[in-house]
Parts: sequence; structure tokens; C-alpha cells
Amino acid sequence: MSLTNSQYGVTRLRLAFPKQKEMQFKDLTFHYQKGEKILMLGPSGCGKSTLMQVLCGLVPEHIEYPVKADEIKIPEKWGYVFQDPDSQFCMTCVDEEIAFVLENLQVPREKMPDIIHQKLKEAGLHLDDIHTPINQLSGGMKQRLATASALALDPDALFLDEPTAMLDPEGTEGLWEMLKDAAADKTVIIVEHKIDHVVNFVDRVVLFNDDGDMIADGTVNDIFKNYQHKLIEYGIWYPGVWQNEFGNKPEAADIFEGQPLIEIEDFTVYRKKTPKVHVNKLLVASGEWITIIGRNGAGKSTLLEGMMGLLPCTGKCKNLSDETDPAFVFQNPEFQFVTDKVIDELQYGLVIKKVGQSIINEKVNQALHQFSLAPHIRQHPFQLSVGQKRRLSVACSLLENPKIVLLDEPTFGQDAKNTFALLEHFEKLRQTGAAVIMVTHEMEIVQRFATRVLEIEDGKLKKDFLTARGHLLLNKNEAGMVY
Amino acid sequence: MLTYHTWLSKVNPSFKFLIIAVLFIALLTVHNLNTMIWITGLFFILYLVFNGFNIKLSSWMLLLALILAVLSSTTMIFFGQGTHILFKWHFLVISKESLARGCHIGLRTFLFSILSLIFVSTTKPVLFFYSLMQQLKLPPKFAYGFLAAFRILPMMYEEFHIIRAAMKVRGIEKNKGPKGQYHKIKRYAITLLAQSIRRAQRTAVAMEAKRFSLAKNRTYYYKTGVSSYDLIFLLTMSMIVMLAFVLSSTLPLTPFTNVIE
Repeated sequence: MSLTNSQYGVTRLRLAFPKQKEMQFKDLTFHYQKGEKILMLGPSGCGKSTLMQVLCGLVPEHIEYPVKADEIKIPEKWGYVFQDPDSQFCMTCVDEEIAFVLENLQVPREKMPDIIHQKLKEAGLHLDDIHTPINQLSGGMKQRLATASALALDPDALFLDEPTAMLDPEGTEGLWEMLKDAAADKTVIIVEHKIDHVVNFVDRVVLFNDDGDMIADGTVNDIFKNYQHKLIEYGIWYPGVWQNEFGNKPEAADIFEGQPLIEIEDFTVYRKKTPKVHVNKLLVASGEWITIIGRNGAGKSTLLEGMMGLLPCTGKCKNLSDETDPAFVFQNPEFQFVTDKVIDELQYGLVIKKVGQSIINEKVNQALHQFSLAPHIRQHPFQLSVGQKRRLSVACSLLENPKIVLLDEPTFGQDAKNTFALLEHFEKLRQTGAAVIMVTHEMEIVQRFATRVLEIEDGKLKKDFLTARGHLLLNKNEAGMVY
Repeated sequence: MLTYHTWLSKVNPSFKFLIIAVLFIALLTVHNLNTMIWITGLFFILYLVFNGFNIKLSSWMLLLALILAVLSSTTMIFFGQGTHILFKWHFLVISKESLARGCHIGLRTFLFSILSLIFVSTTKPVLFFYSLMQQLKLPPKFAYGFLAAFRILPMMYEEFHIIRAAMKVRGIEKNKGPKGQYHKIKRYAITLLAQSIRRAQRTAVAMEAKRFSLAKNRTYYYKTGVSSYDLIFLLTMSMIVMLAFVLSSTLPLTPFTNVIE
């Protein structure tokens, strides 16, 4: 089929990644019309992002993969928004970043300030001073700036490569709300794993499998009705995924020991010598699953790091368990890796504690299977997929059977499959009598799993209450409670 | 980083850069200790009055310059050759000549630091690179490459802190001794570099997505041109050098007029 004037896309695309035997795309044909809004879905690593980069010409012109195709028709003017809010800018300030685009287009200097204001407005980024340093913006604002710079190219087509993967629910919703208006008259092609907000925006969904083959291409209704099993298999966040996985009620209530584990009194944590978060009184008991919620910058992570002793603090925060150190899982797992092999990584904590080799082997083998890491034991941790990295970092922390686990947004940026697997691990751990304390933005976790919620606002513990699940557990175990 | 805007920040950055580069080379030929003292003193005053840093940053920078100067002078003072011995202890010999030469080298280090600080404390990096592109025809790919790298530095600094905390959690501190230290440094290096390399790659692709390579004749958001401040700067700098030469012959503070001999 040859392409007509209003049609764009690729015909019989063949593409290989360097150092890989298998070809990523074998004779892939994908066409789209001007003005279409298309969502591409598929398991991570299936090549959706690469396909988008072919569709706009970044591959092979700037990213040199071997590519062959009968025909590639690229829209004349296009803009691209990338996943990582921090690495798609090259200038220091907001206005300079958009000006960079305008300079590339050779827009006269005099016209620039007006266009900058206009594009920022279109992208819903309202700043008092456009000369604001980019590093002072939140993730959501950075993605708006990225959209504004893409819009500055005056594009017919917008390519959005998981633009909300690194955003919290609030930022995600805001970005899609904005895009609905800003991209209304444009062709939009989207790769996304969180599709709650995208579904109302797109009119065509394309589904890929692990091998990079297109297995379905249809309307939103068609795909969600007929291919739900595929969406589950690929770990895609489709609407209603939580209900399908866990039903309508919170998780069952069973064990809740209620032995005090952490005692906090008049506790203040400092960052750069200024007090950032203060908690007057807090008692954490075994069997609790505590979620710390609050806006970005409220001090949730700071509290967690203070409890772990990673930041300077005053007041009392006592570990009453005395058995083990609390375990801590960082937001970015890569920072936590200290060896060059998955197997060494798992052993590390036990080796430095001089645990006997036979015990180590047993525990490590168990963890490898529990966290589905067995096929990767010889790989470098950095070479793992996003989900595997996260599972490895959690596995390392849980290997020593800690009584207290502190987790900083452990499900952030994870696909549905991985998230559910992690939550089950945490629940198992809680049932053995550990206290799970996690920072999260995901209200489904709060409602389904948490027994107790701490809400932090402007560095203060604003609310501290039991969830429905917490109350259930409380009624079952009245004698043992510490409140 | 620049807290105050003095008239020095209005000088064309490329011009300022060239003048200071010329001074660097010219000052290498000064072997008269008296001239060195006067030049350093006068530029130091210029820096104190017109630098753009806040007091705290300025003090730290000066302390750093001082430490560098002392370090570079000590080797010469303690181990240099000379006939008029002032002090002797085992290998350590201080002679009049080596003392003068050491002071001269120390002063030169300090002076070069001061000149660099004058430049850095009054020049915005963004404007400097814009000026290099417009006045000195630096290819944009280098200029924007540097600017993009500037963005990465604070991120690396932040990451460094996170890695330190993460290493603490993993118990890497328990690895003592040289081997443990080596392992620790290796971890920091690998993690920081891996993050930065991938970030740089992503930034490069993002810049291309904004049609960076497409532009043959760029326009510029910041226009850097020539102004009367450039002339004032040139005059001030030459006056300071000339004044120093005059003062060194009329008001010599030491008897050493040539430290090479």
C-alpha cells in the first residue's frame, strides 16, 4: 500500500538494536492520518518508544540503529515530549529553554518574548517570572515546560513518550487536562503505561506484543473489551485494574500483633540545617502497614530518611525491636546497588555481617525465586529492566528479615504487574509481624492495603488515622493494641 | 550564584575573557617581586570592590586561593637553591633567594586566582557562551554542550548525597581499609558516571528533537554586543598594570627586583 498525501507512517519497517541477534521489528507496517489521537500499548521493552522515534525521524538520523523500510513518511512539523523531566532540557531557566527552540527555528530575537509567554500559557505553566530556574519546578511543571517547548515548534504532530511516568497522580491528571486543549487540533501519538486519563483523549489504540509485533489495532472500546487479558499480561495500568486484581474490598484482615516497634517523640528532621518536618508523637507497632501521604515537598521522604538516621534530627526516634536495623528502600534503586552482579548484590548484606555461607545460599536462592530474578543472577544490576531493578532492591532489603521496613515510593514508575507483586511481598512481610512504612501517592494502595495513614502537610503531621482495614484489624486484636 | 551586579558584569564576556587571558600570559614574564606585590594588591582591591559574589562565597573562594598560593610557594621556599642561608634543618633549607622566589610563585598563584575570580564572579555562564558564539564564532554545538553540562553538575551533586545515604544503608561503611576504600570509590564512580552518561545521551536526543542541528543561521535570545563598559574595562585593567609598574620602581617593598637571578 502506498501512502497518500494525508497519511503518515512506515511500510515494512525492519529495525535491529545493536548487539542483539533478534530483529526488533520485522516488516512492521503502521500508518496514521492527520489529526488522529493514537495510544500505543505493549509490555516494556517491546519497542514502542523506538517506533515513535522512527515515526518522527529521530531514528535513524540522530540515533543510529540499522533501519530498513519501503517507505517512511514523517510529518513536516512535529514535537516530542520525553519521559524523564530532568534530562530533556539543556538550558538553566524556563524562558531560555523555549528560546533555544526558537533560536533553532531562526525566529527573530524581538519576537521571542511574546512567543515564550504564549507557549507557556498554552502548556498551562503559569509563572510570575519566566526567568525561573528549571530545577525549581516540580516534575509536573517540568513536563509542562517540555510540552511548551514542543509546542514552540508549532507542530502538526505531537509524540508523547510516557510523559507522566515520573509524575505523581496530581501531576499526571493536570498534564492530560492541559494536553486535551493544547493538542486538540494536532495529530497525537502516545506511549503510556498509566492510561486512566488518556483513554478519554485517544480514539485509536494499538497493541504490541513482546516481539514488537502489532497484535491489535482498534478503538478504545474494542481493545479494552477484547484484549483485557493481554493488558493484564503486559502489566498495563488500564481503568479498573485494581478491582480486577483485588476485588472491591480492602485486603483481608488477619494478623495484627501490636507490639511497639518505633517510638517517636518531639522529633524534628533537618535538611540543609533547616527543620523540614516535625512529628510530636508517634508509636508504630508490628503488623502495621502505614502509608505516608501528602503533597510533593511536604516532607514525607524527609521524615522517612530522618527515621532511618540519614539526616540530622533532634528529639526521640527509638527502635524498640532491637533485633535488626530497619530496612530502607530508596526511590531510585540504582543508587543502592554496590556490586556488579545480581547474585553478589543479594549476598552483600549477609556477607558483611559474616553470616555462614550455607545460610546465605539458602536465603539468596529463596529470594531469587520469590522475586523472579533467578534467570538474571550473572547480570549487572544496571542492565536489568526498571521492574527487575526495583525487585532486586526490595529483595536485598528484605533478605535479612527486618522488623521495620521503610519504603520511599516503592511502586513509583512500575507497571501494574510489578506493583501487585511488590505489594504482595510487603503484605507477606507484614503478616510475619513487621511494620511496613511507605511513602506513596497511590490512593488505591492506601485504601486497599494500609492499616493506618499519616498525612504530612508543610512539614507537620496533620492527620494520623486508621483505615477501614486498620479498624477491622483493631477489632480482631483489641487486647494487643498499643494505642 | 551571582548575587550582585557591578559594572564588570556589563562588560562583554568574550572581551573580558580575552583581556584576562592576555594578562595571564603577560604576567608570566614579570620576575620583579615588587611589581608582583603591587599588581596582586591592586587587582585584589578591584576584586574586593567589584566582585559579584556574596560575602560568604567570596570568603570561601579567597580562602581557597590563599591555600593554593601557600601550597605552591612552600615547595620553592623550603627546597629551592640559594647562597644566603636563613634556616637549615636536615633537607629543609631556606635561603633568601628561595624565600623571594617562593613568595613570587605564591603571589602569582594568588593573582591568577584573583583574576579568574574577577571573571567568574561577574559573568553569567549563559551570557559568556552566547557571547562566545556571537563575537568569537564558537560553534553552537560546543556552547550548548557546555550549557547542558552545567545543568548536569548540580544533579550529580544531589545524586552524590543520595548515593552516600544509600551506601550507608547497605552497610558499605563496614568495609574498612584500603580495599574497602577502593571499593567505595569505585561504586560512587560507576553509579555517578552511569547516571550522567545516560542523562547526557537523553539530553542530546531531546536537543535534536528540538531541531538543534537543523539551524544553519541561529538567532540569539540574548544579544551580546560591544558597549562603553568594554573600553572602561580595558582602561582600568591597563591602568592597574601601569600603576603597579610605577609603584614598584618608586615604592619598592623588597630588594628583589629579579627572582630568576
